[in-house]
Amino acid sequence: MRGVLGAFRELDAAVSAIEALKERKLGEVRVFTPTPRHELEHALDPGPSPVRRFTLIGGLAGATFGYWIAIWVSDYWPLVVGGKAIASWVPYTIFGFEVMVLVGGLSTVVGLLISARVPRLTMMVGYDPRFSHGDYGIWVECPPEKASDAEVLLREHGAVEVRRER
Amino acid sequence: MATLTQPMPASDEPRRPNIASADVQLPSVRDYEQVDREIIATLHPTVAWFIGLGVAVFFLVTGIAAWMYQIYTGLGVAGYNPPVMWGVYIITFVFWIGIGHAGTLISAILYLFRAGFRTTIYRCSEAMTVFAVMTAALFPILHLGRPWKFFWLIPYPNWRYLWPQFKSPLVWDVFAILTYFTISSTFLYIGLIPDIAVLRDREKISPIRKRIFSILALGWRNSDREWRHFARAYLFLAAFSTPLVLSVHSVVSFDFAMALTPGWHTTIFPPYFVAGAIFSGLGMVFTIIIPLRKWWGLQHYVTLNHLDAAAKLCLFTSLVVGSAYMTEWFVAWYSGNQVEKDFFANRLWGQWWWSSVILYTCNMVLPLSLFWQKLRRSPAWLFILSIFINIGMWFERFVIVVPSLSHEFEPWQWTSYSPTWVDYAILAGSFGWFSMWFLLFIKQLPVLAIAEVKEIIPPRLRRGHQHGIGPSGRHLDYEPDTPGEFA
Repeated sequence: MRGVLGAFRELDAAVSAIEALKERKLGEVRVFTPTPRHELEHALDPGPSPVRRFTLIGGLAGATFGYWIAIWVSDYWPLVVGGKAIASWVPYTIFGFEVMVLVGGLSTVVGLLISARVPRLTMMVGYDPRFSHGDYGIWVECPPEKASDAEVLLREHGAVEVRRER
Repeated sequence: MATLTQPMPASDEPRRPNIASADVQLPSVRDYEQVDREIIATLHPTVAWFIGLGVAVFFLVTGIAAWMYQIYTGLGVAGYNPPVMWGVYIITFVFWIGIGHAGTLISAILYLFRAGFRTTIYRCSEAMTVFAVMTAALFPILHLGRPWKFFWLIPYPNWRYLWPQFKSPLVWDVFAILTYFTISSTFLYIGLIPDIAVLRDREKISPIRKRIFSILALGWRNSDREWRHFARAYLFLAAFSTPLVLSVHSVVSFDFAMALTPGWHTTIFPPYFVAGAIFSGLGMVFTIIIPLRKWWGLQHYVTLNHLDAAAKLCLFTSLVVGSAYMTEWFVAWYSGNQVEKDFFANRLWGQWWWSSVILYTCNMVLPLSLFWQKLRRSPAWLFILSIFINIGMWFERFVIVVPSLSHEFEPWQWTSYSPTWVDYAILAGSFGWFSMWFLLFIKQLPVLAIAEVKEIIPPRLRRGHQHGIGPSGRHLDYEPDTPGEFA
């Protein structure tokens, strides 16, 4: 993976650099930020996160399993009480709900890990510890012939440091 | 650094002074670097911390010794007097489950409602939740005559292929509490990942700590992709946790409400328990956060505005709980059920009258003081009040459990109950167990959410303006720092 990394101290400088990079189409842009900022999200304009699909599927599977296990156990060893249902859906809603939350919550986490591509064993090129501290980083993944243009553009927009990485 | 006091708004502003909102937040916190520096500084152990840990471990060891004695001698040493077969252990179980409710309320429900004052207190509350549920989960086991058989409640078949009874409230409890513990722990850990990444990047002294932080941070890099999915996942976890908070204590209340015992068999119990749980949890949040902000000098993070807003929530839940107490009395009178009426008369004028007085004083009368803004903005009063709330909420469960069981339908069943030293030692041990985990947590991981605090600090901008705080407490824009400091 080759590209150029620019470190910015100011948020508005980073936003203007992202907009310019997208306009010039110099390469795929990745941003590092110590805290999520809506200004950056608007500039990057990403699509919707797929995490919601994991949540939906996990929640539905959990609710189904919660009801199923209670009903199946009741039918497997019936406790017959006159006038009362062997499998009673009212109390079994507790199991349906609790297991829905449990499986839905855990599958949301799985969705986060898969979508965000964590855990990772090594830090990707382009990362710098200052990006968890207070600075903003812009990583432009581009071929060597476009790297010079990207460097110039990042400096023009106020990068305090620009370097090529591979 | 700007002043630590909370600036009051200018007179021409429509905003009320004590509302913590998105733009009146942390006027004394200047930039991201200050956030990292000051919050990470809380991780350094002090003499007071070691003393606190020593006291906690002492109480824990006392509780363990009492439990060993109970296992060796038998459950009779715990002061049970049939038919009062639920005592201090079940009271304390419900107490700790209740304490665990404010954490998820603050971290999840207030997150969904975009309540700004949660930002600086939610991490502490979440950790409190996890450790409170860990403490509560011990008590059903302590309550068993043969604690080594506790796994019979876990939903899997035994050697005769018999499953637990799925219509039993005790099995509902197992599902609810295990789910609550799992989701609360997950919520805590997911929220911690970006902060652990900060600790990983800032750790310069110990390679072992750096390695541990690296593993726990899962290679988090603060990229836009990570934040985007993180925000969605956090939102969905909050959305799941919100009804979970309401369900768990409802299920705990079913342990009582499903029985035909006087004082228990009532449909008001689920909302009554949930409101009480949130109320007691907020009390414990005050008990914990007020000393911490004082010892670490974090008054400019956990501001008076935040305490004020949390105190309003505390007052509201106190009013809800008070209404539930009054409704119980009304239902007993309106039902025309003589046993129920006699039971409630006994609750106030019988042998346990003093516990009812403690309950009503601590949970209904004293919190009314929070109608005064001056007291809501007094950390000393909030701390004192929180101690009363903790005591009052323990006695609420005492009033539910003991008077009901000692005054059932038939007069020949009526009896008394007196906790023994074993009960008291195990109760003290539970506080030691909870405090030990909490003290260990606050010295290893940040008790304030670094990334979320940064979110409410205005970012550094290129436009050159003098840094400062306006008359309303809002930030003015920052001037740029020295260029190339990191280059």
